[in-house]
Amino acid sequence: MNQSYSTADKQDTRQAQRFSSTSIAVLTIYSLVVLMIFGSRLVSPSLGGLSQLMTVLYLSSFLVICAFGQGLVIMVRGLDLSVASMITLGGVLSTTFMQGTNEGLYFIIPGILLISALVGGISGFGITRLSIPPFIMTMAMGLIVYSVCLGFTEGTPRGFPAPILNAFMQSKVFGVALPILLMLILIVIFTTLQSYSAFGRKLNAVGNNPDAANIAGITVKRMTISAYAISAACSALAGVLLAAYANGATLRMGDDYLLPSIAAVVVGGSSILGGRGNFLGTVGGALLLTTLSSMLSALGVGQGWKTVLEGVVILVALLMLREQVFASLQSMFKRSS
Amino acid sequence: MTIKRIADSGLMIMVIYILIFAMYGAVQPSALSAYSIQGLFNNSLPLMLAAAGATFVILQGGFDLSVAGTISLVNAIVAVLQFDGALGAIGMLAIALTVGILVGAINGFVVAYLKVQAIAATLATMIICQGVALLILRAPGGYVSDFMTYELTGSMSGIPVAIIIATLVALLWFVFRRTNAGRNLLAVGQDAKAAELSGINVARTQFFSFIWAGALYALAAYFLAALTSTGSPSAGEPFLLLTFAAVALGGTAFGGGRGSVTASLLGAATLVLMQKLLFSVGVSSFYTGMIQGMIMVLAVLFSGAVQFVVDRRNII
Repeated sequence: MNQSYSTADKQDTRQAQRFSSTSIAVLTIYSLVVLMIFGSRLVSPSLGGLSQLMTVLYLSSFLVICAFGQGLVIMVRGLDLSVASMITLGGVLSTTFMQGTNEGLYFIIPGILLISALVGGISGFGITRLSIPPFIMTMAMGLIVYSVCLGFTEGTPRGFPAPILNAFMQSKVFGVALPILLMLILIVIFTTLQSYSAFGRKLNAVGNNPDAANIAGITVKRMTISAYAISAACSALAGVLLAAYANGATLRMGDDYLLPSIAAVVVGGSSILGGRGNFLGTVGGALLLTTLSSMLSALGVGQGWKTVLEGVVILVALLMLREQVFASLQSMFKRSS
Repeated sequence: MTIKRIADSGLMIMVIYILIFAMYGAVQPSALSAYSIQGLFNNSLPLMLAAAGATFVILQGGFDLSVAGTISLVNAIVAVLQFDGALGAIGMLAIALTVGILVGAINGFVVAYLKVQAIAATLATMIICQGVALLILRAPGGYVSDFMTYELTGSMSGIPVAIIIATLVALLWFVFRRTNAGRNLLAVGQDAKAAELSGINVARTQFFSFIWAGALYALAAYFLAALTSTGSPSAGEPFLLLTFAAVALGGTAFGGGRGSVTASLLGAATLVLMQKLLFSVGVSSFYTGMIQGMIMVLAVLFSGAVQFVVDRRNII
């Protein structure tokens, strides 16, 4: 009895350590974002204001949404390479179904999310039931979805998003754009879902140790499939919003989001080997990447240097977020206190 | 045991390749001319080399996304430098290999010694390489010497240079697999912990797998420049997904420990040949991606089924 108590105690401290290491990571990322936004004022007086902050938040809302799904998949030790194609699918379906009218919007959007969740579910099925590596399965699914979009639209997507969606993307409430508010609401929902719901805890358990989760009575395969389904639906939602933002869909509209969605998750401090996920960190990662890219564009830095700097920031973030660095930081804190 | 040997030797993918080639020849008899075969191999070679490189990393249980960036970077460098003649081509090859090995060394150092997850680290280096490629060559173009364009895509006493290069890589693997380094590579892929305990230097094995990969990506970019006789800062992008598709088609297990570079070479060749076949049959290019995706999944399922049979036999 005594012994079991002591091991439980040990586990608790370990969890506390992990918690503090993730909060250090999240704090580091957010302070970097703030530093970058306000620091950019030094470089150019037109930057660093509230309007730039709003632009960054607006632009990162798309990335935040796909990165949530990617984060769930990474948490269950997978990788979703179909993000780009699912964004295209969402955009193409929305412009095709809506045809520039508001009619039937209330079932079109849920319909799109359902269709894409089904596609993601098929990927999840292949990965869990047929044990196809996630990398291959989602890549193949992405290829298939993309060529279906290509064949269906014959190369040029037609139609327009519903006017009400266009208006939604452009409206502001108290000076805050509606998509930003939507993003904030989604962040609250997603954080609750990932960190404070039974669903999120089960997913976390699956990512930490699938065998143990299985013994604990968690339906591992079903949980994994749902992670892929949610990821696909998130990407499709981002696609719907992007199509409304750009007033039309293109076949390549998702390409700029695949690698950043992975980068946002790993920069946000989630382990790509699964079992350690933190959505607030991912949001910070998405904000960091978007801030960096919009700042560099505003400064007129060429595409080459911009890309190099983005890569360097990801690499530095990865190096800083390694477990050993936290361990040494913590021991430093302990010694000083 | 025999099934296992067949599965590992890449014999299966060779049979598939020959079958598809027979179909291709039946549909389009002109494809059997020496000139067409030479063209086919020239088109296949860059992907074959890239897939061979990626296999080294995948076999030890890692992952390398930097293939796209490395190919773009080396392709841009080859297109910017202006060396003529045979000596120029050799010098260029040396520069290409140096750059590729350097990128591989950075990947390897960050993954093996700094212990950053391979996918994340190589994602970052891929982006950096793409950026540097853009700095070197702003837009597609540049200069590739006539020697590279004509001699490297031609034939040497009747045998296409592309086939010679592919055979050399297959031979390299044949020898490498039998050395200690080769055995360590597979052992680390099967079980890194057990390998470490049995005295294998896991970090060094991982480090060198990235070096091999970088060198082969550079070779792929070099031949891509010769094939297209131009350079592009985004030349590597199509390679990212196709490389892994080719490795999967070759039956190499993602997660490491099982597979062969030769099978990946053949997998890549099969992928290119399949595109040609689909095109000549008249399948709309719209649906080529769809068929490729399905074949990838089927290939993995097939290789998994073979492994399943092997495992069951071993247990009995």
